[in-house]
Amino acid sequence: MTAIVWERRRAAAWATWREFASHRGGLVGLLGLGAIALLALLAPLLTDQTGLDVTRAPGRPFEPPSGEFWLGTDNTGRSVLLLTWWGTRVSLVVGLSATVLSVLIGTLVGVAAAHFGGWTSALLMRFTDFFLVLPSLVLAIALSTVLPRGLGTIVLAIGATSWPATARLVRAQTLAVEARPFIERAKALGGGHAHVIGKHVLPAVLPLVFVNTTLTVAGAIIAESTLSFLGLGDPTQISWGSMLHAANVHGAVSQRAWWFLVPPGLGVVLVVLAFTMCGRALETVLNPRLKGER
Amino acid sequence: MGVRRRIGAVGAVVGLVVLPCAAPAQAQSPITLRVAITQQVDSLNPFLSITQAGTEVGRLMYDYLTAYSQADQRPVEGVADEWESSDDKLTWTFHVPDGKKWSDGKPVTAKDVAFTYNLMMRDPVAATANGSFTAEFDSVTATDDRTVVIRTKAPQATMLALDIPIVPEHVWSAVQNIGEYQNEAVPVVGSGPFVLTEYRANEFIRLTANKDYWRGAPKYDELVFTYYKTVDAAAQALSRGEVDLVNRMGPAQFDSLKGKEGITLNKANGRRFNEIVINPGAATKTGEPIGDGHPALKDVVVRRAIAQAIDLDEIIEKVNGGYAQRGTGLIPPVFPDFHLDKPNPERVYDPAAANKALDDTGYRRNAEGTRVSPEGRELELRLIGHASRAYDEQTGEFVKRFLADIGIVVDVQIVSDNQLNESTTAGTFDLAFSGWGTNPDPESILSLHTCAQRPNADGKGGTTDTFFCDAEYDALYAQQKAEFDLAKRSEIVKRMQQRFYDQVPSVVLGYDNALEAYRSDKFAGFPLQPEKGGVIMAQNGVWGYYGATPTDNAGRSSSGGSTALVIGGGAGALVVLVGGAWLVSRRRGASAGERE
Amino acid sequence: MIGHLARKLGGALASLVFVVVLGFFLFRVIPGDPVVAMTRGRPVGSAQIADLRARLGLDKSLGEQFLDYLVNAARGDLGTSYVYNRPVADLIGERLWPTVLLVGTATALAVVVGLWLGIRGAWRRGSRFDRVSTGVALTQWAMPTFWLGMLLSMATGDLFPTGGMRYPDTPPDFLSQSLDVAHHMVLPVITMVAVVYAQYLLVMRSSLLEEMHADYLVTARAKGLRDDLVRRRHAVPNALLPTVTLVFLHLGLVVSGAITVETVFSWPGLGLLTYEALTGPDLPLLQGTFVVLAGAVITMNVLADLVYRVLDPRVRAA
Repeated sequence: MTAIVWERRRAAAWATWREFASHRGGLVGLLGLGAIALLALLAPLLTDQTGLDVTRAPGRPFEPPSGEFWLGTDNTGRSVLLLTWWGTRVSLVVGLSATVLSVLIGTLVGVAAAHFGGWTSALLMRFTDFFLVLPSLVLAIALSTVLPRGLGTIVLAIGATSWPATARLVRAQTLAVEARPFIERAKALGGGHAHVIGKHVLPAVLPLVFVNTTLTVAGAIIAESTLSFLGLGDPTQISWGSMLHAANVHGAVSQRAWWFLVPPGLGVVLVVLAFTMCGRALETVLNPRLKGER
Repeated sequence: MGVRRRIGAVGAVVGLVVLPCAAPAQAQSPITLRVAITQQVDSLNPFLSITQAGTEVGRLMYDYLTAYSQADQRPVEGVADEWESSDDKLTWTFHVPDGKKWSDGKPVTAKDVAFTYNLMMRDPVAATANGSFTAEFDSVTATDDRTVVIRTKAPQATMLALDIPIVPEHVWSAVQNIGEYQNEAVPVVGSGPFVLTEYRANEFIRLTANKDYWRGAPKYDELVFTYYKTVDAAAQALSRGEVDLVNRMGPAQFDSLKGKEGITLNKANGRRFNEIVINPGAATKTGEPIGDGHPALKDVVVRRAIAQAIDLDEIIEKVNGGYAQRGTGLIPPVFPDFHLDKPNPERVYDPAAANKALDDTGYRRNAEGTRVSPEGRELELRLIGHASRAYDEQTGEFVKRFLADIGIVVDVQIVSDNQLNESTTAGTFDLAFSGWGTNPDPESILSLHTCAQRPNADGKGGTTDTFFCDAEYDALYAQQKAEFDLAKRSEIVKRMQQRFYDQVPSVVLGYDNALEAYRSDKFAGFPLQPEKGGVIMAQNGVWGYYGATPTDNAGRSSSGGSTALVIGGGAGALVVLVGGAWLVSRRRGASAGERE
Repeated sequence: MIGHLARKLGGALASLVFVVVLGFFLFRVIPGDPVVAMTRGRPVGSAQIADLRARLGLDKSLGEQFLDYLVNAARGDLGTSYVYNRPVADLIGERLWPTVLLVGTATALAVVVGLWLGIRGAWRRGSRFDRVSTGVALTQWAMPTFWLGMLLSMATGDLFPTGGMRYPDTPPDFLSQSLDVAHHMVLPVITMVAVVYAQYLLVMRSSLLEEMHADYLVTARAKGLRDDLVRRRHAVPNALLPTVTLVFLHLGLVVSGAITVETVFSWPGLGLLTYEALTGPDLPLLQGTFVVLAGAVITMNVLADLVYRVLDPRVRAA
């Protein structure tokens, strides 16, 4: 029986992939993401990390692009290309970790709110609604001011403020799934909460959660750059946000040092765009109501 | 649908009106000195204002009892023109001359002085900003309109450096609650060279020249401080001609203005220094150890080795962009009377010697190359810095590398200012960045390192910077406090700094240059204080603003004025027109559709 | 209807109370003695420190402080700023209008641009116009607001002011003043619009697409009504309502935008005030802006919901 289930799931996955591949935007996004992730992973192999050490900066401050420094140098004389390259790692890690946290909270709250009903549900939904309308950047700023500085704080601040949308989505989907007859049957057959949620609800909800994840990452990466820009990040870690913060603090605008400003921002745009395109394509594939619209 | 048409029409009309009107906006304007400030003016109430920008505006509005001369910062006439002290230095008599007037025409008298000081002694809220000056006052009385007598509980070295704006009694005696009084009712009655005439919080402050000022009227009509969020924006504003004077620039902005036409740079000796505090074994007043500083730092050999292994020149070159002077003592070269110019013996950057000193005293390296104290603890030190200061972050990396060369591992932690204050107050640090701005009188900066400044038994109430407690330093401190002869006092103060330098409770890294720039096409010159290597803004006085000389071009509106206004008006009109046109076209399209 | 109203208002009230409570506890977690932060860098005596503690109410227990805070907050007193030595409520009041002006203008423009492009895109879906406008919108949505602002300010050079809301030397008459403010507003408004409109475009486009598949439209077209007319008379108004409601629901996003845009362009509003408060850090001020911004968004949400109910007959009947 399990073999058949697996067979069926594999077939379904294959069909989903084929459909996804038919969306050019989604495919482009995926390829872009792959390339960026690969570059980030290979950074230690392809580049020399000592170039990141401010005390051994090879160039003069604010050198324009040249044969030696393709994207010029920053305020300390380090290569902007190298910094942007390495910055990808921290930006991606922060974006992904914050998303995992956010989706985890969102899924837990959403499933619980739908599955248990009654007071639990009402309370959880009240709570979710509250966080949904709270301006998330303001709360994230408050959190990162209060907590000790560091990447962990940024991850927490973003994760703790971006989950409500996921929670609502998951709740709606869970309600829809639990309304189906086979859940009734499972319950009648003596299936406990764990069984119903684990075996039936989660598998049905997860694809949607996955779509939501890709869109959340996009938001989280922008949030990271914004918080770092406002000076709430960890300045000892090189991320796109901290580069932009440095560019702002050290006068890249008045120096007309576009080479210091453009690359990290463009990095954010590309990654966010790639995640968004993937997410939209997935949404179309997995949400039949939208089919044929794009 | 009628609404839409109306909107379109209004849009078009606004567009037509806007363009021609923009041009005549240029009127005959008074000669104005426009200054960019990047720091908050926290309050116009001189009893509350703490920030540099705020106190500077206070100085422009109100004279102090005495002033600091432009050439060498020695005491000169302020509200009072003559003074004398009793032999025991406990009674000071100041003479307020006839003829000085408040901006509303009433005479400035000794009663105003007595009123101001008494208010601060009576009302703790009025003591918020400058209370330290009057804390040791016993009584202040105006014996007549021209004479004020101040009695202090103990001899006070700052009697000719009382940085307290004297306010008019006839205005301030009516103020019920000092803490809630904003002092924004313009024109604000004052005695300084300028009168506050307009204040828009966080936008600008306008002061008008006091033509009746007793030292003589300023050479121009208005002084406007415009607020910019970042130094960068301020530097851009200067190069565009939106403002005439900028200070507090970073090396990057300063360099970017080099060689620009119509702009003159002023690289001045600053009043600030940066230091790395080394926790020499934090303790309370009673000697009870607090905090968790690394025990090896109690050993002066280790502290000296650390200081010797840090290459100050490289930090100045790379982090300060060359705009700083090598650090020695606690008082910067801008105050030559007290600056320790040549320490003796002087430390030079020498990692080999530092290594040898550590080797000789039993700090051996382990397998990883990290030194271990004779008690068996590895020399791994935390270095905490301010997240708000880029300097700390960069310098931290250099220090990490320098100390690695002598087998000391440094973990740089950049934390919020609040956390840093908390750690340094509680002694829970090994190394920490710190920095101070200094006054012409060295009293307060020297006092920070005396035993008495350490916290109470409960670990609270300390204002020490370093937890330094040294009998020799404290003895010299008491000596200089009672010494009123400048040459002798200067000698003692230098000996104190030498002691501090030898004991290394902190490594003074360098004295930042104050980087300023002005439009020399609008203003020919600004008096510097001190005359040699001095600053224009943030002086101990307002000579820079007061003595500025406009050129013939100064009256003309700049590119920041009307041309930009036309462009702005044009852009605004364009938006409205396009919007209007769109609405109109939509309307047409709609009627065409409906008519069928 | 009345029951719904009561429930909504009750919920909003609960949220507001929660924001106020959260505002208190969030900013008490922070390590560090505020008095040390306030007096750092100035010589102060211990008597002065004790006096400051008493004035700030720090000598009381946490419970008493909380009660004081609640009573004061109910009276509109949000404490005293460390940096400015002034009531937080005054500071916020002073900065409110510049933000309303900037955010209002930008939101209005973004709505107009977003809806218009969204409608056109949906109507001609799959066309080059649709693909380009959707692509551009997505790209702009992917941009960090502050980055776009910095780029614009670098690219436009001397055309626009570096920051602030007006020049001090502008003549005081109304027209010159308004023009000057408009001139200063151009870049911040463009920046905000560029990032925000994408959301409206996408929502309008997809809700219109959904609407166009509705049965009544198919019927209308089958009756032989012209496409144009169907679109304008039926589809657009019906799709417009949820979108406009969404505009209000997404005000949180606009508030975030205001913080970064005001920081980049030194616009003297609430966003810049928040930034200043967090660089202090000036905790009472940060707490005040947090409560006010969150409260404003919650209030706007309730309003949006009510307006929606009044305007949309389908929901009203339900």
